[in-house]
Amino acid sequence: METSFALNPTLLVAAIFTPIIIGLILISLRNLSRSFASGFAFVGFALPALIAVWLLLPCAATYGSPLKEKLAGVWGFYFGLNGISAPLLAMTAIVGLAAGIKALNQEVESRNTYLGLILFMFGGTLGVFGTQNIIGFYFFHEFALIPTFILTLFWGGEGRRSAAMQMAIYLTVGAMLSLAGILIAMQAADLSWGQATFDLLLIGLHQPGVQLPVATAAITLFGFGTLASLFPFHSWAAPGYSAAPTPVSMLHAGALKKFGLYGIIMIAVASMSIGTGTLSQWFLWCALANVVIVGLICLAQRDLKQLVSWSSVAHMGPIFLGLWVCTSSGNAAGLDAAIFLMVAHGLSCAALFLLANGVRTRTGTYRFDELGGLATRTPVLAAFFVAATMASVGLPGFGNFWGEVGIFLSLRAEPLWLQALVASTIIVSAIYSLRAVANVFFGPTSQNIEDQFKQAPFGDINWAERFAAVILLGASLVIGFAPSIITRHTNAETQGLTQISQLKTSQPATPSAQ
Amino acid sequence: MDSIQLLHWILFLPLGAAAFSALCLRRLGGFAAWFSTATAFTIATLALVLLIKTDDTISWHIELAKFGNVSLGFGYLIDANARLMLFVVSFVAAWIHLFSVGYMHEDSARGRFFAGLSIFMFSILGIVIADNLLMTFIFWELVGFSSYMLIAHYFDKDFAAAASKKAFITNRIGDLGFILGIALCLNLYGTLNFAELASVAPLKGAVPIAVGLLLMCGFLGKSAQFPLHVWLTDAMAGPTPVSALIHAATMVAAGVYFMARVSFLLAPEVLQWIAISGAGMAALAGLCALAQTDIKKSLAYSTLAHLGIMGCALGLGHPELAVLHMAMHAFFKATLFLGAGSVIHGCHHEQDMLKMGGLLKKMPLTAATFIAATLSNCALPFFAGWYSKDAIIEAAWHDEKFVVFSFLALAAFATCLYSGRMIRLVFLGTANSEDASHAHESPWTMTLPIAILGLGYSIAAGFGAHYLLPASALQIINEPLHEMAFHLTAPATIVGLVALSFGLLGSLKFYGLLPGRDSLQVFSPRTYHLLENRWMDNVYQWFIDNVVRRVSEFIAFLDLLLINGVAVRWIVGGFTAALGHLTGALFHRGQARGYALWITIGSLLLIWFLLAR
Repeated sequence: METSFALNPTLLVAAIFTPIIIGLILISLRNLSRSFASGFAFVGFALPALIAVWLLLPCAATYGSPLKEKLAGVWGFYFGLNGISAPLLAMTAIVGLAAGIKALNQEVESRNTYLGLILFMFGGTLGVFGTQNIIGFYFFHEFALIPTFILTLFWGGEGRRSAAMQMAIYLTVGAMLSLAGILIAMQAADLSWGQATFDLLLIGLHQPGVQLPVATAAITLFGFGTLASLFPFHSWAAPGYSAAPTPVSMLHAGALKKFGLYGIIMIAVASMSIGTGTLSQWFLWCALANVVIVGLICLAQRDLKQLVSWSSVAHMGPIFLGLWVCTSSGNAAGLDAAIFLMVAHGLSCAALFLLANGVRTRTGTYRFDELGGLATRTPVLAAFFVAATMASVGLPGFGNFWGEVGIFLSLRAEPLWLQALVASTIIVSAIYSLRAVANVFFGPTSQNIEDQFKQAPFGDINWAERFAAVILLGASLVIGFAPSIITRHTNAETQGLTQISQLKTSQPATPSAQ
Repeated sequence: MDSIQLLHWILFLPLGAAAFSALCLRRLGGFAAWFSTATAFTIATLALVLLIKTDDTISWHIELAKFGNVSLGFGYLIDANARLMLFVVSFVAAWIHLFSVGYMHEDSARGRFFAGLSIFMFSILGIVIADNLLMTFIFWELVGFSSYMLIAHYFDKDFAAAASKKAFITNRIGDLGFILGIALCLNLYGTLNFAELASVAPLKGAVPIAVGLLLMCGFLGKSAQFPLHVWLTDAMAGPTPVSALIHAATMVAAGVYFMARVSFLLAPEVLQWIAISGAGMAALAGLCALAQTDIKKSLAYSTLAHLGIMGCALGLGHPELAVLHMAMHAFFKATLFLGAGSVIHGCHHEQDMLKMGGLLKKMPLTAATFIAATLSNCALPFFAGWYSKDAIIEAAWHDEKFVVFSFLALAAFATCLYSGRMIRLVFLGTANSEDASHAHESPWTMTLPIAILGLGYSIAAGFGAHYLLPASALQIINEPLHEMAFHLTAPATIVGLVALSFGLLGSLKFYGLLPGRDSLQVFSPRTYHLLENRWMDNVYQWFIDNVVRRVSEFIAFLDLLLINGVAVRWIVGGFTAALGHLTGALFHRGQARGYALWITIGSLLLIWFLLAR
């Protein structure tokens, strides 16, 4: 098995840079013929997916040993995977492939630029999870965000200008705050940008005598939290996803947003040891607000895409709580389950954005009061939508179930009211999701849909949507039936992280204990 | 093939069938129907082989995943309860599949329907053979999903859309408690495995009330017990075979089965609550059945009543009696629903009992089986229902739980009342509508299952149990079966006989007074209205409309106003705007391209700065 490791970093670099290079070609050669551009772009979307899934398989690494190969790459980037980023990379690649298929199927102006920018975004997101050093992690995130803004601004839907501006301000501020925190931490750990990897930062900060002010951990935590739509820094998220073109919403809400969570895990939780102090309390309340308040906001939505966007914010709540229980009680189960839910949520949320857009392209609207009874016209689309809804409400068989249940179980030693509030998400999400299904697909066919159908008869789900949905839901089913595909990578890593950060918290002069 | 392999086949065969039907047989409805039915009979045969082969407890376990140090696994545990349940579920389901072939003959979405039935089989069998709480929860949720899917079969009807949603959400409310109970068990005992729990729990002293209360929530939802009973009558919006299989014979009984499985985790206080609320619900639901004119809804109330009786048996500390009654009820209630389906089919989809009448002559086989099952339902001595139901009433008397006993006696009386009413309105008298006068007997695919389940099992499953049920499935129930035959003078028997003679005969007479109308509604409209009105449903609906909806809208408004509006636009935005004014001349060109350019340049500068350090 040792020999196959040598190949992995090369494959990883290929996975990250193929989409970027192809994107560059597409943008610079604008008058490339349509079919050639499509084929070319498809390679850019599909190759990383193949590689990333290959890297997850047992044959690519010995069972139980996380992939941890490093390559000193160009410009000082260290490419490599750890037990946490390997599943996230695979999820990103699958979401990216589905988003790419959707994008190839869309009719847009300046198509090549559009595809090129999505490829940039895709490559950047892969880079976030494919690097081991902090500069790479950070650089690729910004690299992915810029095309996100541009795509939203030029190809977005209703309210795109204000949404893109709001998103840009929030995300830049969030990124800057976390960057400031990281810089201070690197100073404390006596590391330079060139050398700082996640591992070294972790080790550096856990040396005896190294102390970080709570404020540093706080700005890092809430900076990353903003990027992952932690309450009350979530206002950008729902309008941002809603206004963005569908492939961008899929990639952003599904994969890119996990940058914030990954940052919290690797830097805030593991290295900075938020611990059990005041900061941890604040984190808890914000995370609970994500579950309860945003859950209630979801109940008030009357528009399908808004609902999917808001529910994607609400689903961050349990993930944050899994991270919280890990820092407050050193419970690795919370971390394992949170990572599992990050992966599963990426898949289900991308599927929902994809299929919701399928409703819009056929009926011309996302509004519940104009929809109804669509299943009579498009039974297969309805079946896929119900499946995606079930995935997102955590039905067993889909990956989300393991994530949610794992988080509930990791909270088992907490007070009952807290557990009940978190677990109430299974009711609230069922209410708003099934209401959406009933409003859009069930009941008698609405007048608006009948009119639309008379004007421009629409068919059921097309091959591209079907293929993309099958990839996403299929992946969710695979990890739902065989959760060890993910957990065998995460287990060892999370055990290690929690053990090290527990050492830190148990020291008397812990920085967060004030 | 060893027992474990047999169990693999029994569990995963329906899953494969469901996937195949859903993916490949969407347009081949006829083939899907027979394919799914063949699968169901194969499962029943395999289950029978397993039951005949061995009497031992079978257990097997693998780990699926680990979260931290919590190991989540998958495994089988076949004990005496599971054997009986396995037989009942697979056997009844196979015949209901066959019935569906005829009943759904003209349906355009048979692929979906039979895929739904198969996924249901997978889920319910999973509950039966699960060896740990988490696996039970997994299949518990899947059962909820298949129920949702099948209730929504006629999804283009508003009532079906609403009913499916209501069923799923109400079940999830119960599941919230269930999952908290699982977390509590894991926290207290460090395991979720039934066998390990049974050995660990007694060592840690008395089981806390909370464990039982939380686990009970799952039972309340799935078995439609008060206060989560509201979904069951609406669930009748699904096709009749679904009502027979899921909402009468098996799924709703799964809650009782599960409670029996974890009965050692239920504190006395919890048992007391289950007993009293079960008995109360049995009486109330039995009376409510009198105020329904839809034959399926009336039967749904009857199911609620019997679920109450089973709950009562659990609460009295006789889980084996609860499981026995669950088995007997599955036979006769499935027959009643299938008979109702046959009647509905024969009367061209008329479900109103007041428009039926005189069907005894037109549908003799259906009528005979329906009446046989009704008598079993009323607990006529030596019929299947008598052995289990009177044993429960007897147990209440014997344990000196007189409140429970009187509720149960009232329930027995109410059962006889609505049973007599049903027979009178549907089968006796003369036809009260055009459809009923042209009624015809159903095809063999429908009458054969009714005959087997009705004439065979509703009548004889009690005294003939030794011939009709595999011996290993009888382990749990031998004792009550034997005892019953010698208790003819016990109070329960007296109560039963009084209820039968006055209730059944009285209502046969009473409902014959005014043909085509409901006598109770005419003579005492107030009583009728009191029973017809769905108080709990109205309370819940009010809560959703006035509290949940308004609160959520208010919170959404506050979020927009305070966080998005005041905090961001005003405070942060004001600061940015001031900054923008200063730099506006330089950067602001009113073009998005310009912003993008500046963001790019800024990021590149930042990276250069950081790299250079």
